[in-house]
Amino acid sequence: MTAAITAGIIGVLLAGTILFLVRRDHLHGSFALWWFAIAAAILILGLFPPVIDWLGSLTGIYYPPILPIVIGIGMILIRLLKMDVDRSRYERQMRRLTQKLAIIEQELRETRDELAKKRPAEFSDTPPAPRVVGGR
Amino acid sequence: MLAHTPCNVLVVDDASSDLTARAAAHAGASVISLANQLGAWGATQAGIRYAHRNGYRTVVTLDADGQHDPFQLPPLLAALRDSDANVIIGTCSERLSKAKRLAARYFRFITGIAVQDFTSGLRVYDRRAIRTLASREASLLDYQDLGVLMLLRKKGLVLKESPTRMSPRRSGGSRVFSSWRMVVRYMMHTTVLCFAQISARGRIGRRRAKAGA
Repeated sequence: MTAAITAGIIGVLLAGTILFLVRRDHLHGSFALWWFAIAAAILILGLFPPVIDWLGSLTGIYYPPILPIVIGIGMILIRLLKMDVDRSRYERQMRRLTQKLAIIEQELRETRDELAKKRPAEFSDTPPAPRVVGGR
Repeated sequence: MLAHTPCNVLVVDDASSDLTARAAAHAGASVISLANQLGAWGATQAGIRYAHRNGYRTVVTLDADGQHDPFQLPPLLAALRDSDANVIIGTCSERLSKAKRLAARYFRFITGIAVQDFTSGLRVYDRRAIRTLASREASLLDYQDLGVLMLLRKKGLVLKESPTRMSPRRSGGSRVFSSWRMVVRYMMHTTVLCFAQISARGRIGRRRAKAGA
């Protein structure tokens, strides 16, 4: 088996998996695009090894086979950084949602109590409103 | 607490497992219960957002571990009223250990914020400070400490310290100053925050200068 075939198999498998995940609604569109680009890069570099030598001479790396690895690690780092940025955004949203939920819960409780005070007759035959106090 | 102040008392329950929230509600305080644990600042901000939503003009924050005495509130509130400050920090200089003083000097050196007791949880905020701290920008902070102060100063608010007395904690210990590893982590974390804020402040300063000219 040659390196070209190996790379071809990896690239096609990756592309197939991505298509499958998008179809099954497990992968958001913008992430799929990134992974398709990765699959394409693997295919191109695997099927046409001279591209690596050409890139090596272009960037001044004297041992071109190391280049895909360097690029790969660089891509992984970028991806990780992007993930942390996204996670920070979600963390901010999650905190604000949790706070808002708690505030609105308190308001709801207060409003119910006030209503019960104002119109006790209508509320007397209904079971007491579930109160969320303490804990989750 | 309720007996000693004319204020409305709000207790924030940070997803705790004990009966604090029930006890507080029983005593007549309003209680908001967070579904997920958000940490010290997340819980405090929940209270500040509650105040913002309900149109309060002044917020006093206290830690619930018995450190802060309700009797100390009137002088702090008076300090806010009588000065042009937007924030009053209740400082208890006896409470500060050598390490904390050293940390305060270090942070004063890199931020220029001359606050002795920057971890004090006893603070009084006015309306502008409430608005600033309720914003999205303040949501990724972790402690009610320098990050909060730097944000307030960035928005042009005036910070002042007022001496106060604190009792020893009745339960729990300082989370930040509990072990050396935590201290180192906290110092590095806050230093990074400081440097990030310094560049932000420079930008805003320049923009303001341009607007003035």
